[in-house]
Amino acid sequence: MTRAFFRIMIVVARRDFLSIVATPTFLLFLLAPLFMLAMGLVGGMGAAGLADANRNAGRIVVVAPQADLPALRETDARLRSATGAVLTPMLEVRMAETRPDNDAVRAIFAEPGSDTLAVMVGTLAYPRIWERSTDSGSGRYLALLAEQSLIARSSGANIPRAVPQFTSLSVPAPSNAARQSLAFGAVFIIFFLTLLLAGQTVSSLAEEKSNKVIEILAAAAPLEAVFMGKLLGFLGVALLFISFWMGLALVGGLIAAGMMGGAGASGGEGAAAAATLLQAAPATGWGFFVAIGFAYFIMAFLLLGAIFLGVGSQAGTVREIQMLSLPITIFQVGMFGLASAASSMPGSTLARTAELLPFSSPFAMAARAATDGDRMVHIAALGWQLLWVAAAVWLFARLFRSGVLSGRQSWAFWLRARRH
Amino acid sequence: MNPIVEACGLTKYYGDYTAVDGVSLGVAQGSIYGVLGPNGAGKTTTLRMLLGIIDPDAGTRRVLGHSHPAEARARIGYLPEERGLYPGMKTTEAIAFMGALRGLSWLDGRKRGAAMMEELGLAHAIDRKIRQLSKGMAQMVQLIGSLVHAPELIVLDEPFSGLDPVNQERLEALVRRERARGATVLFSTHVMAHAERLCDRLAIIARSQRRFEGTVDDARALLPMQVRYTPRAGADAQAVAALLPAGAAAVGEQWHFTIDEGAVEPLLIQLTGSGLGVAGLAIARPALHDAFVHIVRQCDADYVADADDDDAAEAGEAA
Repeated sequence: MTRAFFRIMIVVARRDFLSIVATPTFLLFLLAPLFMLAMGLVGGMGAAGLADANRNAGRIVVVAPQADLPALRETDARLRSATGAVLTPMLEVRMAETRPDNDAVRAIFAEPGSDTLAVMVGTLAYPRIWERSTDSGSGRYLALLAEQSLIARSSGANIPRAVPQFTSLSVPAPSNAARQSLAFGAVFIIFFLTLLLAGQTVSSLAEEKSNKVIEILAAAAPLEAVFMGKLLGFLGVALLFISFWMGLALVGGLIAAGMMGGAGASGGEGAAAAATLLQAAPATGWGFFVAIGFAYFIMAFLLLGAIFLGVGSQAGTVREIQMLSLPITIFQVGMFGLASAASSMPGSTLARTAELLPFSSPFAMAARAATDGDRMVHIAALGWQLLWVAAAVWLFARLFRSGVLSGRQSWAFWLRARRH
Repeated sequence: MNPIVEACGLTKYYGDYTAVDGVSLGVAQGSIYGVLGPNGAGKTTTLRMLLGIIDPDAGTRRVLGHSHPAEARARIGYLPEERGLYPGMKTTEAIAFMGALRGLSWLDGRKRGAAMMEELGLAHAIDRKIRQLSKGMAQMVQLIGSLVHAPELIVLDEPFSGLDPVNQERLEALVRRERARGATVLFSTHVMAHAERLCDRLAIIARSQRRFEGTVDDARALLPMQVRYTPRAGADAQAVAALLPAGAAAVGEQWHFTIDEGAVEPLLIQLTGSGLGVAGLAIARPALHDAFVHIVRQCDADYVADADDDDAAEAGEAA
């Protein structure tokens, strides 16, 4: 039985895949996203920029003995008042009677939440300032803060001078802001691809209904297998589409790299690029992140595709399908909104809700892979999402059999259910 | 009889409407069985329930030994009433697709499909797309698609509609050939001529209920025999009328009347001994068409009578 189910699924998938791909219009479909992509990127970058503006405020940390804290706070308030809104990173003052070692300082940089831009330890006279990037404004501000605090505390004629020692992180810490941007990027790309590709399934069964093939399928195969086969067929089209664009991007990247190499890119530029890449590295690592992102795209496609296919199967006419497209798109945008909001608040209740809600789960979990290093949770998430795919297919196959195949054309399936 | 399809009290409701009402039938293995009925009688719904496309609201069914017909899908070939093929597919691909749904490999499906098309005189259409075919040709392609996997049970819903006489004859030959192969054929129609020529047994469904089940001869025996008698020229009409059964009517020189099957011999003795002479005599058994019309009309009359009774009862209650 199971073997027959999979066989039929493949037969239907093959038919649907070839009927789409082996047509001249598929080429148009393949190239159509160029315009959409450009518009989407502009919008996405704008939104990401706004999000980054909030996240990048960051913080600067001073670890000092109890005796220095009042002077530091007072001086910080005075300096901020004098500089107005120019100084955006907030000062966080921590009390420690002994100077923290290098590992403790690195741990401060790795703390979740707002990015730590600079850390000052030691005494006010001889502060040691750790910076995320060399010669940063945050580092210079901490030096000024130490000196001004020292001056404010002194009472004699000699004006003391602080002698700061700057240290740049030898291995840049991963940036939380960059990871959240990466999370948003993952949500956006998966949303964009599902919006572009999964929506096609809405009209899929309308073809069978209009050319009356549906009765042949229903007599020959379990409708669940037909539904799954159709989903797989469209997924095949989607994967072909993605492969085409990824291939194109790869070729473009190689050409660009070749041109840069030809122009004699300096080693410094290469190191800077590597550092940037490291800073933006997802918490689960690039390999896992890309693989799991791909898996979540498949789950998002299957989940939303199952919904679209099921709802579309209840429609009797093209007009009904067109009418159904709007709420479906709104639903999809809603899921995107939820997941993107969750991506900017990793670990929050909103994020957990988005991760659990089956239709936003693939987006939110892809975002989580960027900000949270736990890999095992993704196995559970994939299982959870797969369960919902099966449930959606099962439910809509039943509705389809009880409604459309009985000769009643209304898509108001809740009315049909009531009649029985 | 070894029934390969059994239905007992199949019932299907669509809201307040009863589409099929307690239909029972049994189809013997290797036979050709017809489900006859006027439009809207419930034939298609009955076939759909037997195939497991829809489930009955009451009653049981058993197909190829399975109480859930879906379990025997791969052993069944089905031509639905509403013909349907993917217009963009080539004919052999469409046939192979239908075979693949039933477990046949694509390669075998293409080969067998092409061979069957040649046999049925459709060789010229082998590599054409469905949208390029006439309606009748597309229907033949679909028929081949439902037979390509050599099913044990073939269910054809109104298979002759839309076919020209030549193709109708081809289809009849094909049905006989499938039966000779060992397959069981169950088909619905409202064209009596095909049923009369093909069916070993048949059921007549009218107003959602089965009204008859038996052989073609059984159906024809429901009506008396039709007699056309022409007496010798100049015979006395009153004497003829007195000799013939009540209800005999003069139509020109002929007299039309009916007799029961057992009354043929006594009639012949009576006519030859009467001195009225026999210038012409035709005794014909009624056709299946007549039996069908008789059954359906009787059913309609019963329905109207029942409705009148109901109205009268309601009026009485209201009074």
